[in-house]
Amino acid sequence: MQYQSQAVAKPYFIAAIALFVAQVLFGLIMGLQYVVGDFLFPEIPFNVARMVHTNALIVWLLMAFMGASYYLVPEEAETELYSPGLATLMFWVFLGAAALTVVGYLLLSYSTLAEVTMNKLLPTMGREFLEQPTITKIGIVIVALAFLFNIGMTILRGRKTVINLVLLLGLTGLAVFFLFAFYNPENLVLDKYFWWWVVHLWVEGVWELILGAILAFVLVKTTGVDREVIEKWLYVIIAMTLITGIVGTGHHYYWIGTPEYWQWWGSIFSAMEPIPFFMMTVFAFNIVNKRRRDHPNKPAMLWALGTAVMAFLGAGVWGFLHTLSPVNYYTHGSQITAAHGHMAFYGAYVMINITIISYAMPLLRGRNAANPVKSQVWEMWSFWLMTIAMVFITLFLTGAGILQAYLQRMGENPQPFMVVQEQISLFYWLREIAGVIFLIGLVVYIASFFVGQNDPEATTAS
Amino acid sequence: MKADRSVSEINYPPGDLAIWIFILAELTVFAIFFAAYAFTRLQHVELFNEYQLTLDREAALINTLALITSSYFVVRAVSAIKVDDRRRCVYWLLAALCMGMLFLLVKSWEYVHHYSEGINLSSNIFYMFYLSLTFFHFMHVIMGMVILVAIAVMAARGKYSRQEHTGVESGASYWHMVDLVWLILFPLVYVMR
Amino acid sequence: MKRLSDFIGIRPCTLIYLLLISFSLATFLVGKLGFSGLGMSLLVLLLALIKGHLVGSYFMGLGGVRGVWRWPVFIWLFIPGILIGMAFYLSYQ
Repeated sequence: MQYQSQAVAKPYFIAAIALFVAQVLFGLIMGLQYVVGDFLFPEIPFNVARMVHTNALIVWLLMAFMGASYYLVPEEAETELYSPGLATLMFWVFLGAAALTVVGYLLLSYSTLAEVTMNKLLPTMGREFLEQPTITKIGIVIVALAFLFNIGMTILRGRKTVINLVLLLGLTGLAVFFLFAFYNPENLVLDKYFWWWVVHLWVEGVWELILGAILAFVLVKTTGVDREVIEKWLYVIIAMTLITGIVGTGHHYYWIGTPEYWQWWGSIFSAMEPIPFFMMTVFAFNIVNKRRRDHPNKPAMLWALGTAVMAFLGAGVWGFLHTLSPVNYYTHGSQITAAHGHMAFYGAYVMINITIISYAMPLLRGRNAANPVKSQVWEMWSFWLMTIAMVFITLFLTGAGILQAYLQRMGENPQPFMVVQEQISLFYWLREIAGVIFLIGLVVYIASFFVGQNDPEATTAS
Repeated sequence: MKADRSVSEINYPPGDLAIWIFILAELTVFAIFFAAYAFTRLQHVELFNEYQLTLDREAALINTLALITSSYFVVRAVSAIKVDDRRRCVYWLLAALCMGMLFLLVKSWEYVHHYSEGINLSSNIFYMFYLSLTFFHFMHVIMGMVILVAIAVMAARGKYSRQEHTGVESGASYWHMVDLVWLILFPLVYVMR
Repeated sequence: MKRLSDFIGIRPCTLIYLLLISFSLATFLVGKLGFSGLGMSLLVLLLALIKGHLVGSYFMGLGGVRGVWRWPVFIWLFIPGILIGMAFYLSYQ
């Protein structure tokens, strides 16, 4: 750690991992509810478990993005953070708001929660992923503004690198598009239309810039390759991401009441969305092959390369599977979507956050470069356990999705939803087993922070 | 003869490898668009033939000549920097930018004309393709011009020389790509019927 | 091409430029005079592909490159060219 103020990243990372655990636990509850419908009913109904599962994911990713920014921006800008106090304050505000919201989800019925939080004054609740009460949303905006101010001032004051500027662009976009969460038109088509401006333009637009910047930072640090080379790739990747990702929003606009040209725009541009991910894979492996030194932190490198591969598979390939409008006609909202969602979120955003945590945490905990060998071995085991489990979750859901689309929407006698769900339950059971293995991987990951702490630090030679 | 052989020994395209990967990705998008146009036309031949006649071929010709000319100017700019003539390199780049500007003006004028006639993306499938394709290309002209401005500024500041001019070549390659796409777009959308 | 341009006394790139201009004018005339039909369409397409190849080889400079990088623009012209040609051919069946 080169600057004292980078230390503010630590609580963000710890809270992010804690929420990650919560997310996975609720995922397992839901996974079981797919096959044992009344599991934990009425305490935790499916809709609540789902809300907690997805919201915890979003919040922990945001938290880790913020931690990552607080860590890498000062180092890139070569100056202390503008206000470490503000960063710490915002951490507690954010964590408090997230905790209160989850407690609200679990203890109150959703309608009571809406009433208590005065949703009537400015109705924003009740939409997938944006279920948070309006006051929580306002809290998020305040945290985001304070965060952007802090990061922006730091960058203004210090060295302006391409990595910092791309990151800032991504974070600003993140904040700006979140504002559409407050726009809630009466017309259902318009409602969905702008809802995607948050959801799609986040994960298939500005978040990719954040991903690119973090990946580039870790590669600069671990490989010692010239900054110019890495920056050049970053430019090309973000340009391609924006070209394909922005118009690619159209792949959510099929048959929901939007003009027909979206079918063409959505199909053509989103079919190209795998390209920037593919470039990212080529980029990461290219840079690692050109490395000038062997960094002792092996897991960080493993996570970085893993991100590049899994993001391409999950976001690129599994996205492409159902992005063309004639295909999507049959697969829309089926388990294929769930398969893509799982691998894309894990491969792109979970893994990039673990990458930066893996790189930064040893330094934040006072090591020179890396964890002891034993800890590294545990962490790499957790990588393989979680990643392989996720591959299987995705494959089982894909199987379920193909069968579902066929039985429910294609065959001679299309069958009702629940009848089909019964027929694909084997896949759900298998998915649940893979989910348990994922949880084991996560436990191993957390354990890696505690094992072998008194051993000497790993060096390059080992 | 010997000099010729040494030229063909080069394994890499002019400019940076990254810009070439970008160019190929962009070309792929356009290729899919072109094929989609041609095969959709197959289902609506009458409609495509009818509405193609409403397009302004003179404007398209001016634009074709503008882009070819600007591409030529960019070629001259690259040759200039290869003999260390920075001033001339900048002049050629500025001339190319003027041609790009001409393209944007003529194309905008066409759009204004369509707009005043109430034509939009939902008018019919031909206009959907025509407007999407040309507008996507239009955005590329703007992007290419931004790149040309950037390299012109860098050239004026003396960042490039006979030894190091990868930046100029990269920008030039991108600009030729913009020209290349239009060379197919023009006959396909305006002329072939 | 080089020998021809030496003979006329202009740069190779200028010669290419003049060729591109004249092909474009020819394409325009086909449209202006209202020619249509499969033969005309394919001729116009062929002219466009030749123009594209000239730009790729001489302006982008791929003609002087050895190995795989000599071909991307050519392949790019070839595949959509075939597809477009096929679609127009089918539209006359």
